[in-house]
Amino acid sequence: MAEEQKQGQEAPAAAPRAEGAPSGAPSGGGHGGGHSGHGGQGGHSGPPRREGGREGGPRREGGPGGGPGGPRRGKRQYFRKKKVCKFCVEKMDLIDYKRADILSQFVQERGKILPRRMTGVCARHQRWLGVAIKRARNIALLPFAGSAAGSTAPKAVEAHKS
Amino acid sequence: MEERLYDLIFIARPATPEDEIKKVVAAIEHACTEKGGKIEKAEHWGTRKLAYKVAKHREGMYYYHQIRTNHGELITELERRLRVQDAVIKYMTIRLDEDLKRQKKLGDKREKRAARRPRRPAATPAAAPAAVPEPQAAAS
Repeated sequence: MAEEQKQGQEAPAAAPRAEGAPSGAPSGGGHGGGHSGHGGQGGHSGPPRREGGREGGPRREGGPGGGPGGPRRGKRQYFRKKKVCKFCVEKMDLIDYKRADILSQFVQERGKILPRRMTGVCARHQRWLGVAIKRARNIALLPFAGSAAGSTAPKAVEAHKS
Repeated sequence: MEERLYDLIFIARPATPEDEIKKVVAAIEHACTEKGGKIEKAEHWGTRKLAYKVAKHREGMYYYHQIRTNHGELITELERRLRVQDAVIKYMTIRLDEDLKRQKKLGDKREKRAARRPRRPAATPAAAPAAVPEPQAAAS
């Protein structure tokens, strides 16, 4: 999960999709995605763990962005993009629940609402966003968490078991 | 009672014959005129994929109405009618005016702030003309 957060810091827009892809492919869903994420970064996170053990900072910053070269030097290299609230930039005072195309950017593939730390939305807009997403769910514009893709996937799993 | 604005969305079964939809819409209109409501907007969003299965359907036809009324009973009446309709698989009414009020308030606030601000931007136009003569001086 920690890795996913870091990815979110690097590229807020790309994070949901990159993350959604692995979780969709294996039938295990969220768990499968989480494991593959750890496995993939296992090789990279090995070496920096020694140096980064004392101070948690460099490892966090170096892990996703710099590649192997960055964290080895041991100094802090910040490439954190400053996240700006998308709704503040566009000066939206109302988040319309009918705009499923906008809302779906702030929702995981399975319909979970993305946390603020990943999307960079400000507190006020996140509050409104939550309401809008819940309204959209009610009228089947957005899935309830786990129900949309889940309506086919769990059945397949059950079939395998039996 | 003050006026209130509502959104009314209903989803009809896919491939519902048109006259049946018309019947539903007519029922809505009828209820509105009877109870003193006004339909501000009526839209047909067409057939869309549903995010989850509703009454065993994966698709549905979305119909959207915006209704302004003084009487809250109209909404209960509309919901009652929609519930009875076989063609309608899902419906939702949402009160909008409070959100719009908040939007207006924030928009006004922003405008006020923008109106107060121009003192500072006035300084930059003064700086810009000063910057223009320099290249001319360099050319001559």
